[in-house]
Amino acid sequence: MSETFVIVGAGLAGGTAASTLRQDGFDGRVVLIGAEKHPPYERPPLSKEYLRDESSFEQALLQPLDFYGENGIELKCDVRATRIDDREKTVELDSGEQVAYDKLLFAAGVKNRQVPTPGSGLDGIYDLRTVADSDLIRREISPGRKAVVVGMGFIGSEVAASLRQSGVEVTVVDRNKVPLRRVLGEEVGRVIEVIHRDHGTELIFEDTVAAFEGTGRVESVVTSAGHSLGCDFVVVALGVEPVVEPLVGTGVEIDNGVVVDEYFRTGVEGIYAAGDVANHYHPVFERHIRVEHWQNALKQGQAAARSMLGGGEPYQEIPWFWSDQYEHNLQYSGFHREWDELVVRGSLQERSFVAFYRKDERILAAVAIDRGRDLRRSVPLIKSRQRIEASRLRDPDVDLRKLVTAANTRL
Amino acid sequence: MTEFVAVAGVDELEAGEMRAFDVRGVKIAVANVGGAFHAFDDTCTHAGCSLAGGDLEETTVICPCHGSEFDVRSGEVLQGPAREPVETYETRVEDGSLKIEG
Ligand SMILES: Cc1cc2nc3c(=O)[nH]c(=O)nc-3n(C[C@H](O)[C@H](O)[C@H](O)COP(=O)(O)OP(=O)(O)OC[C@H]3O[C@@H](n4cnc5c(N)ncnc54)[C@H](O)[C@@H]3O)c2cc1C
Ligand code: FES
Repeated sequence: MSETFVIVGAGLAGGTAASTLRQDGFDGRVVLIGAEKHPPYERPPLSKEYLRDESSFEQALLQPLDFYGENGIELKCDVRATRIDDREKTVELDSGEQVAYDKLLFAAGVKNRQVPTPGSGLDGIYDLRTVADSDLIRREISPGRKAVVVGMGFIGSEVAASLRQSGVEVTVVDRNKVPLRRVLGEEVGRVIEVIHRDHGTELIFEDTVAAFEGTGRVESVVTSAGHSLGCDFVVVALGVEPVVEPLVGTGVEIDNGVVVDEYFRTGVEGIYAAGDVANHYHPVFERHIRVEHWQNALKQGQAAARSMLGGGEPYQEIPWFWSDQYEHNLQYSGFHREWDELVVRGSLQERSFVAFYRKDERILAAVAIDRGRDLRRSVPLIKSRQRIEASRLRDPDVDLRKLVTAANTRL
Repeated sequence: MTEFVAVAGVDELEAGEMRAFDVRGVKIAVANVGGAFHAFDDTCTHAGCSLAGGDLEETTVICPCHGSEFDVRSGEVLQGPAREPVETYETRVEDGSLKIEG
């Protein structure tokens, strides 16, 4: 009898896994279950081109609408998996249906963190994860209106930029000293700060929201430091947390998402996880990491499908992502939490650089603004884990591609 | 009849390199892959970045902005986020100069 592979989460990782299973010749049943109304689509435009009304939803679709039917993929939209039973090997859906699986890929992504705040139930307060969210925010956008964005991580920063570019007057409130501090650190965060200020976006740092005020609809945001910011609408972007509820009660280990090995296997036979939700073992960084970005979800969707088919190789892609803000393109590659030196090639002031986060002379990660080519050429340096002299990294005349010496390459 | 426009001397573009030229108002990138010249639209179909500003790895051009990959010979998308192929153009070498269809 043919096997059934069930995928929970019809996003980038889940959708990619489904098409990879077919591409690689799997002829069993593929069931793709998604809580949203739509077939798999890409989220990056939701805070950028789509939010600014410069691109259509169709352009964001992973595959044309008839792809799933034509490829024998049973796509169930607008249904949520509520419980997975790892002994009976079934998935319970909120439609009342039960689906039996031989193998299951869990790719339910992340959800926006909710921070309880007085007044958060008022109209005109939004967060952003889905196209439905983006549509609601789009309806609020028109030149001269006032918005407050809460939180200046990537999504907050991008929303602030897109609103500003659409003529909205924007104030951002963030608890840190600079934007994106957690990922990029203070020096690079400062560059992003200046970019936003130069575009006329107001930024308030080291402050948090104490309450939203208004009658029926939000009219102002009151901060802990005592600011009262009048506004027409608010976008809250205070980070995310992994969606793991359907796995509660199974033997699957949950720790900062779903814990998997370098083949995306959980500790429970037949259950895999990939994408934003997967805390996966990474051989290059010799630890588990969870990455919430596009390339990661795409590549892991492919790799997890291959692993489910019994093939595949240990996953060792170096994480990479981009963020577009105003006319600038930021890219980051690698993974770092702490570092002892930031080595800059180019100029922070001129906003054109690639900077390397180093620890013990090894490059853990690199970030670039408007230097996509240099960033890409830095990836092998990260992967090689070689010690490379700072002076050579800084010197624009040294070709980054020539810095890795084959003899030292570990992987 | 297809007309060809001279854009550079053949030795101005080394193997493994790319450059963009303005051919009658259209930005066209040319890649030298081991002595063979391949011409294609310089403007990435994803969000419009200049492909010549990216990297060339054998016959693949990689966009500097979001990593879309195209085959320089056919214009075909090898990896997203781009979905639409880029237009390709014929090239010709005559009297030591590189010419592009235009
Ligand atoms: C606004 C925005 C902008 C972004 N911009 C960028 C960018 O510029 N660059 C970049 O690299 N990355 C960006 N990202 C991140 C990128 O989109 C994600 O990393 C990627 O979508 C993760 O894919 P995934 O498949 O793991 O999760 P998702 O794409 O989130 O898919 C998970 C799906 O599972 C569904 N689901 C959840 N629970 C259940 C359940 N119980 N049953 C059934 N289905 C369920 C969800 O509804 C969702 O549709 C952005 C994200 C957002 C939200
Ligand atoms: S503009 Fe080329 S990949 Fe986005």
